[in-house]
Parts: sequence; C-alpha cells; structure tokens
Amino acid sequence: MENDELVQNMLLELRRGILSLAVLSQLGKEQYGYSLLKALSDQGMEIDQSTLYPLLRRLESQGLLQSDWRIVDEARPRRYYVISAQGKAVLTKLKKEWSAMTATITQMLS
Amino acid sequence: MNLIDKYVAEVGKHLPLLKGREDVEKELKSTLEDMLEDKAEQAGRPRDEAMEIELLKEYGSPQRIASSYNPHPYLIGPRMFPFFLMVLKIVLTVVIVIMLVLSSIKAVTAFPLFAADFMQVIMQGFGNALSTAIAAFGNVVIVFAILERILPEKEMGDFSNEKDWDPASLAKQPDPDMVKRGDLIVEVVFTALGLAFLNGLFNLPVFTKEFSQFIPWINAVFLGEIILDVYLLVTAKWNTPGRIAKVIIEAVGIAITVILIRTPNLTLFTNESLLNFIKISEEAGAAGLAAYYTTSITLIVILIIQGIELAKALYELLRINYRKK
Repeated sequence: MENDELVQNMLLELRRGILSLAVLSQLGKEQYGYSLLKALSDQGMEIDQSTLYPLLRRLESQGLLQSDWRIVDEARPRRYYVISAQGKAVLTKLKKEWSAMTATITQMLS
Repeated sequence: MNLIDKYVAEVGKHLPLLKGREDVEKELKSTLEDMLEDKAEQAGRPRDEAMEIELLKEYGSPQRIASSYNPHPYLIGPRMFPFFLMVLKIVLTVVIVIMLVLSSIKAVTAFPLFAADFMQVIMQGFGNALSTAIAAFGNVVIVFAILERILPEKEMGDFSNEKDWDPASLAKQPDPDMVKRGDLIVEVVFTALGLAFLNGLFNLPVFTKEFSQFIPWINAVFLGEIILDVYLLVTAKWNTPGRIAKVIIEAVGIAITVILIRTPNLTLFTNESLLNFIKISEEAGAAGLAAYYTTSITLIVILIIQGIELAKALYELLRINYRKK
C-alpha cells in the first residue's frame, strides 16, 4: 500500500521531463490549449490543465513556441500555439536523445 | 458577472506574475468556456450553474491554479542552496562565538560582582547570543534571496555546472582577474553582518560623542565595500574601475583609522574615568586600563591590516594596467 505513493511520486517526476517533449511533438500544427489537451489525452497522455498552461508559457518564453490570439469559426477568442523554428530544431535533437534513452532502458529492463 | 468570470478574477488576483496577467486570465476563461460547452454537450442539456460549479470544482482552487504559474517558486533556489548552507553555518558559528565571548568579557568585568548580577549577565548573554543568531539567520536569508534574483541564471554556472569543470584547471594557474563568486558572496554576507553588528556595538554607552561623528564615515566604507562586491558579482571579473574603487575604499578606511587613532576621548576609558575606576577598586581600574589599551591596540591592528589590503589593491591595480601594455 505505502509503495503506491512512492510510485506515484516517481511517475510524476518521470512525466515532468517528457511532457515538454509530448507538447512540442503535438504542436506541428497549431492548437489552442484545450484542443491540445484533448489531442494529448486521446493518445493516452493525460495532463492536468494546471500543468499544461504554465508549461506552454514557459516553452513560449524559451522561444520554442509561438502563440497568438485568434477567433476561428466565430467562436470565442482562443490562443493558438505552434512550434517555432527553434522549437523544431530542439525537438529533432530531443527525439534522437529519446530514442537512444528508450533503447537503453528497454534493454536494461528486458 | 457569472461564476466563471468570478473564478477567473479570483485566479488573477493570486497570480504571481507581473507580466501577462491579462493573457492568462483570457486564456483561462476561454478554456473554461470550452470545457463547459463540452460538458453541456455530453449531458445533452444547456449549460447551467450546477454545471459551472461542477466544472470549477474539477478545475481546482484559484490559489492552486494561480500558484502553478509562479515562474520562481524559490526564495533561495537549488543552485544557491549549497552555498547558502555553507555561509549560514560559518555565520552562525562566528556570531554565536563572538556573542558568547562578549558576554564572558562583560560577565568578568561586571562590577560589583554580586552573584545575582553575575547570573543575570550570563542569562542575558545567552539570550543575546540567541537573538543575534536569529537576526543573523534572517540577514543571510535576505542577502541570498536578493542575490538569487539579481544574478542572471546563466552566470550561476560557476557554482553548479560540472560540465564546464576541467580537471586540467587544477594544474593551471588561475586567472588573477577572475572573481571567485563564492568568496564574494561570503564577503557580502559578512560585510553586511559586520555593518549591522558594528552599528549595534556603537550604541553601547562606552563610545563618546567624539567617536559617534565617525560612524557615518565608517558605514560609508562598509557600504562601498558591499556595492563593489555586488558590482563584481555581476561583472564576474576585476577591471580597472573596480580596482580603483577598491584602492579608494581601502585608502578612505586607512584615513578614518588614522584620524581615529589621533582623536582623544574616543571611549569612556579615558585617563579621567580611569582615575575614577582606580578610586572605586583596583581590579576595576585594571580592567578599565586594559580596555583603554585595547582600544588603541585594536585600532593599530586594524591599521596594519588595512595597510596590507591597500598595498595589495595598489599592486593589483598596477598589474592590471601593466599587463594591458
């Protein structure tokens, strides 16, 4: 029973690192926060709102994302995010690192 | 104003941001509206207040949401923390030792030496040591909290970035103009503490009016030292203006000490009051005499130390300019 909490905490730490990667990967085409959340969730990556929005802000302040307010389909104004050129370059590098890392870990765990 | 607007306003009130507050509020409102629409669709009925309440309950308390936007959740961040601990340990040890020594001196020289008074002096000593230690702790925290915010993030590499560390640098002569940030931070902390401590000390009734006219000058030298250190922390390297400022500060310090030595009646331990002491009791007279000489000797020791510091500062200033040619 007590291990549950430990596992939850470790999972949280593991996820914290890969969320940026997940978000960058999904912003090849522009999305607003809520649609991105649903897109991530549809693919099995559940993320809390209170984690996603600050993360988007941070990635944008680091120059990896661009955003602007727009009104599409006469709906309410939404902030659309899309990956920047720098973001793409970073994502390419991260992808490589990720494959190497998963290969190593998979081998270790098998 | 509906519930969502009130909720968004509440989040905005708690946001720790200076910039982009409106943006965050607008985005939050837009998201909540989207979610509410989804909810209504799923339920198959138009949105109502019960639905809004359920949504906001799910979303979380405004304080929690607002705090998730905090870009700087640390008073003293992990990069500074090891240094903070180190400095804290040194400062607390030094402060407590000084306070206990001062109290012991006071206890020994206290007269008349009735047992009750003696106990009182000792208890007061412990009390003072404790309160000074707490005050010192607070000062160290304040200095580090300020440094945490002043120092640019990348510059902190010197403290924590193991990647830049080259084992070959152990063999290499260090660049004499490079500033050691750790040393500087320690110096800033101690100068600030010294400033606070001396100003507390100056309030003791042993110092005369003749002495108190020097206090602003002494404070100015200390402040100059702190400003120079912070400047060096930011520039990370000694340069000519920095060296000149150092020489000036040291020279002013020496000037003050010299004038102090030549000024009579700095403390109450003058010849006149000494005569009174001797009349009261011989032991007290001896203690007073010791205190009288202590003042002069202390000043002379300070003068020697300052002289060495000035010579070093001058040498470095000349060397920096010599190398440029």
